[in-house]
Amino acid sequence: MAPLTPYTYIQCPCSDPSNLSYSRASDSGSPIDGNPGFDDEEHTFDPRAPRSNYSLYPLEYLLYCEDCHQIRCPRCIAEEIATFYCPSCLFEVPSSNLKSEGNRCTRSCFQCPICIGPLSVTSFETQPDPNLLAAPDHAAAPHSGPYALNCSYCHWSSAEIGIKFDKSNGIHGQLAKLRNGGTTRLTAKERKERRKDILQSGGGGGGTAPGASGDTGNDQQAIDMETQFTNLKSFYQGQLSESTSGGNGLSSLGDLGFASPTSLSRIMSIYTGGSLHDKKSKSRVGSMREALDPNEGLIVADLDESAAIEKLHSEGIDGTVDTEQLLNQPPYLGEPHLHGRSRFGSELRPIPYLLRTKRSKRCPVCRHIISKPEAKIQTTRFRIRLIAGNYVPSITIRPLNLNDNNGAAGTPLPPTAPLPDTLQPLKPAHFLLIFKNPIFEGVKISLATPAKTPGRFASKVTVLCPQFEIDANTDVWDEALKDDGARRRGAGGGRKGDERPGSTQGQQRAEAGKIWERGRNWVSIVVEVVPASLRLDTLPTEGPEGEKVDMSPLKEDEDVLEIPIFVRVEWEVDAVGDDLGSSLASSRDKEAKEKRELAYWCVLGLGRVSQA
Amino acid sequence: MSRRPPRGEYIETDTGNKVARKATLVGTQNIMLGGKTVIQPEVMIRGDLVRSVPSSSSSASAPGSNTAVAIGRYCFLSRGCCLRPPGRLYKGAFTYMPLRMGDHVFVGSQSVVQAASVGSHVHIGAKVVVGEFAIIKDYVRILDGSIVPPNMVIPSFSVVAGQPARVIGEVPEGGHEAFELRDLYKTVGNNPQPAAPS
Repeated sequence: MAPLTPYTYIQCPCSDPSNLSYSRASDSGSPIDGNPGFDDEEHTFDPRAPRSNYSLYPLEYLLYCEDCHQIRCPRCIAEEIATFYCPSCLFEVPSSNLKSEGNRCTRSCFQCPICIGPLSVTSFETQPDPNLLAAPDHAAAPHSGPYALNCSYCHWSSAEIGIKFDKSNGIHGQLAKLRNGGTTRLTAKERKERRKDILQSGGGGGGTAPGASGDTGNDQQAIDMETQFTNLKSFYQGQLSESTSGGNGLSSLGDLGFASPTSLSRIMSIYTGGSLHDKKSKSRVGSMREALDPNEGLIVADLDESAAIEKLHSEGIDGTVDTEQLLNQPPYLGEPHLHGRSRFGSELRPIPYLLRTKRSKRCPVCRHIISKPEAKIQTTRFRIRLIAGNYVPSITIRPLNLNDNNGAAGTPLPPTAPLPDTLQPLKPAHFLLIFKNPIFEGVKISLATPAKTPGRFASKVTVLCPQFEIDANTDVWDEALKDDGARRRGAGGGRKGDERPGSTQGQQRAEAGKIWERGRNWVSIVVEVVPASLRLDTLPTEGPEGEKVDMSPLKEDEDVLEIPIFVRVEWEVDAVGDDLGSSLASSRDKEAKEKRELAYWCVLGLGRVSQA
Repeated sequence: MSRRPPRGEYIETDTGNKVARKATLVGTQNIMLGGKTVIQPEVMIRGDLVRSVPSSSSSASAPGSNTAVAIGRYCFLSRGCCLRPPGRLYKGAFTYMPLRMGDHVFVGSQSVVQAASVGSHVHIGAKVVVGEFAIIKDYVRILDGSIVPPNMVIPSFSVVAGQPARVIGEVPEGGHEAFELRDLYKTVGNNPQPAAPS
């Protein structure tokens, strides 16, 4: 089992039903009174509830609205697309192109249909002509002749599906004209002519259909989606014009069926852009026949799978495609309709890269922009970036070694040290929570946690110091100038002896209400947990209200010890002498002191409990 | 930087580079370090794979252009990783191309990097293979065990994983600071400082 690195997830207040009106967030002027954690009926946040998955975020993912004074998560922000660009060639795609060309790159950026690696254009003449080595600087000269798209990861080549290109640029346009196997896609003109030929030779209409039915298997191969669509379109257009000329008598009864001219013209206007919809349609009645042969757009389902079976025999399972590969395929109109037919690798096509976007983000309540990247693709700067990490104290978890009696006892394990794999059930374990204050005001932090974690296996949790204050963040230069020892001594606080002899650590643990260590803008406190035993026979047979207890075996990640913890941060904003806190929007307010409060649930994932 | 007798595990240069004595740097005259870069033991940098432009081409063989590997500031090359300039046929002859690396690039242990360029603030995990001529832009995180195919372009703010690597997510706005390697730089060397509390 993979060892678990301790994590801290913060629940965005937007998922709390009591916040749905955003009432608490919007009254930015007045200090928030009362205990927001307890005014919603003392409910404890359950990190294992199925809903919690959708509201917990690491601190990095959270933004902060300075006007609402509230955390904003990816779920409760409104996004606006600033720029579209291709992730491969990094060219910007104007949004007008997007409407006409679709959401894929129309340059020469393709992904391998087999492994989705990038494809590169290579010439077929792999052996360079030795004479050309002497030839000066004609880069185009050595590479001539047909080109193919090659995957340098899985060595797939578009030559495998019979696609070769004449030029090395404009691959997207060339590919659009080529069908798998190298035959060219029909142009609109060719299609029209071919159609004319068929109509002339076959005498037109449905008359040929019964006789030609033996050939339709072959014919269908030739009918690609575009041809079918034009066939159908012209057929129905003919039907409409016939019905207008011959229609009379019976009124609106037939108007609702599939075969009625009105519904047909309505459907056609949907697919062809409204040009077909004519005013006379109200007057038309009667029903029309459906397409009867391929020239009219009829395609009979090909139930003869012997070719596919034969191919499967010859190519084996390796020649087939999987669902993921199929899903990555963009639709291609130049081929016959697939009808679930694309089962072989030879039917896949190179995938043009999907475009990517740069997005700015808005607060949904006050509509202020809280994140805005530079529109240019190559720059990584942001014009506005209000991240929660600059407003909300960060919580770092570190295992604490209290019981060891050697020299290392009482010291938090260095972050590089390997973490203990599992927590032993029913054995107290200690963790150091380090709160770091990012804002330029001193903050007061109150923690609340249920004595027992929610869930079937309730572990006991004790926060030894649920209330403490953290000094203000100061300038970066102070930190740089200060040496490590001075930071250690810091403001003193509740530290019990700087030398930390191993024997006194037993008492250190018992000291409730004292912080462990204090630094310039951080405070560490100790949390003691007694992990529950994960054995099912230790579960009580009945719940407190006599309900049945779930005796099912251990579920996924149920052995992870997660502690819900309610954090309330209070600080005062000094509006007058507030030069450092000028980044806070509240400093604009012309009050001497203003109280601010932020309260949220977060989840500390401490580790896995041993199942032995 | 005090003039201490060079005894420790690392050689610390005037520009603040910390190069492990057990690192294998081949062709050091072709390797450029921007300063404050950490090179851990067993790292290999192939500076010998320098561009060998055919003599017929007169333009590209300027004397200053024979850098094989250029590394920016505050890069961190973990134990056992390998930087290797990519090579290919160019005008009919095989030649290596320089590998350029920006600032604050972390390369995890036992990774092989053959990219054409790696931007700034890039985190390459452990046991990653970056294929030849890959271009990695800024603020990219490549998770452990990924194999970046050759010629792949990874745009900024991507999280990349898999074999072959694909973009699996975006770096959130608040995650930019995690790419900073200044603190990590302080934790190694001959007199390392302990890590900051958080």
